[in-house]
Amino acid sequence: MGNPVLRHLEEGARLARLDRDRGLVEAARRDPAQFDALYRKYLTQVYSFAYYELRDPHAAEDATERVFMQALVGLPRFEERLDAFTLPEGELAPDISTFRVWLFRIARNVIANERRRSSRRPVAPLEAAGELTAPDDVLESALAHEAGSAAWQAVARLPEDRRRVVVLRFVEEMSTAEISAILGRSEGAVRVLLHRALRSVEADLRRRMS
Amino acid sequence: MLESEARDARRTARHLERLMDAADGRATDVPVGIDLDPSVRLAARQLRAGLLRVHPSFRFEENLAGRLATVAARLQDGAALDLEVDLPATPAPIVTLWPDHSDLVPSASAPVAMEPEDGQPTRAAASALLRQTIFGRLLKKPSLASRPSRPLIVGGVGVASAAISLGAIYFAWRLSHPSPGPMVRAVRAAHANRDHGRRSNVLGEILGVVS
Repeated sequence: MGNPVLRHLEEGARLARLDRDRGLVEAARRDPAQFDALYRKYLTQVYSFAYYELRDPHAAEDATERVFMQALVGLPRFEERLDAFTLPEGELAPDISTFRVWLFRIARNVIANERRRSSRRPVAPLEAAGELTAPDDVLESALAHEAGSAAWQAVARLPEDRRRVVVLRFVEEMSTAEISAILGRSEGAVRVLLHRALRSVEADLRRRMS
Repeated sequence: MLESEARDARRTARHLERLMDAADGRATDVPVGIDLDPSVRLAARQLRAGLLRVHPSFRFEENLAGRLATVAARLQDGAALDLEVDLPATPAPIVTLWPDHSDLVPSASAPVAMEPEDGQPTRAAASALLRQTIFGRLLKKPSLASRPSRPLIVGGVGVASAAISLGAIYFAWRLSHPSPGPMVRAVRAAHANRDHGRRSNVLGEILGVVS
């Protein structure tokens, strides 16, 4: 079993060390006003996830608000968990539920609803990525940034599952285990999704350049 | 899933791990083995280079923090009531303010449905609570009509109001009486000098002084 989480599980790792937010979560459970600390900690992450998914700052703000409202109201139901479940194809998938994973599960649902709701509206590309000024005014950096901007526009054209994996991996810098827990897929499936997504991005860029 | 693709995916994952680890050094790429798909390396490098860190505005952050604090206070209050949110009565001011949107005002007697699915609250429950909170806050505010009337001039406010009125009167007077131009002032001065000369001659004659 190559998964480090599951390996730890076999070795009897203590749950007490799993969630770094345990103290904040317990404080927020005792006094909901203490939820503010969790909110401040994860606001930018949730907002950037929503922004990259929805590509509109106002829609991202709406989604962010819904995510934190739902998290606050549903916090008593949150269960910290370290487990594993067997997927239909027989592969074991980690069932991690830290506060961050739980929060991003909410975000995934909220954003999916928002995308469905606004599916009739035209989707704007990530213009903001192209508006960034190049650091240090170096031509090379500017060119790299331009190419990077094109790459993110290619990400926006990916199918939903691939795009989401790329955003969670690159923007949120989540581990494969966390992404698999959020998306309810096996780690192997997440790795393959990521691999295919990167190949698709490169193919898209090459096609547009030619 | 092909075995070869799974193997390539693992290589990609390892490469991305190294790429993320190198992020502190602001590196957008790391050395790779020859077994990594070049297209994957290129795409990963470009995504790292074009990564845009976005932040919500300060105003949004603070506004949302305030709304969450309000909801948190209500949850704290409603804990003993099995998460039922008691709403203030008298929705009349809201109906007055938004006569066409009175359907948005939640019923004061209806408790918020909080039945999370899979450990998560339903979107309807959260938005209902949010609406109740926002409208509830408005409901707590007395409408303009229901506020007790107060004398307009009170202490310093009255002084300031009088000063402003005097200033406005002076300004209006200045507009209706424009100051004379330099030519007008010169003609007036010359005229005054001529009058002054005549008066001097009359005085000289009376006093017997021959000029």
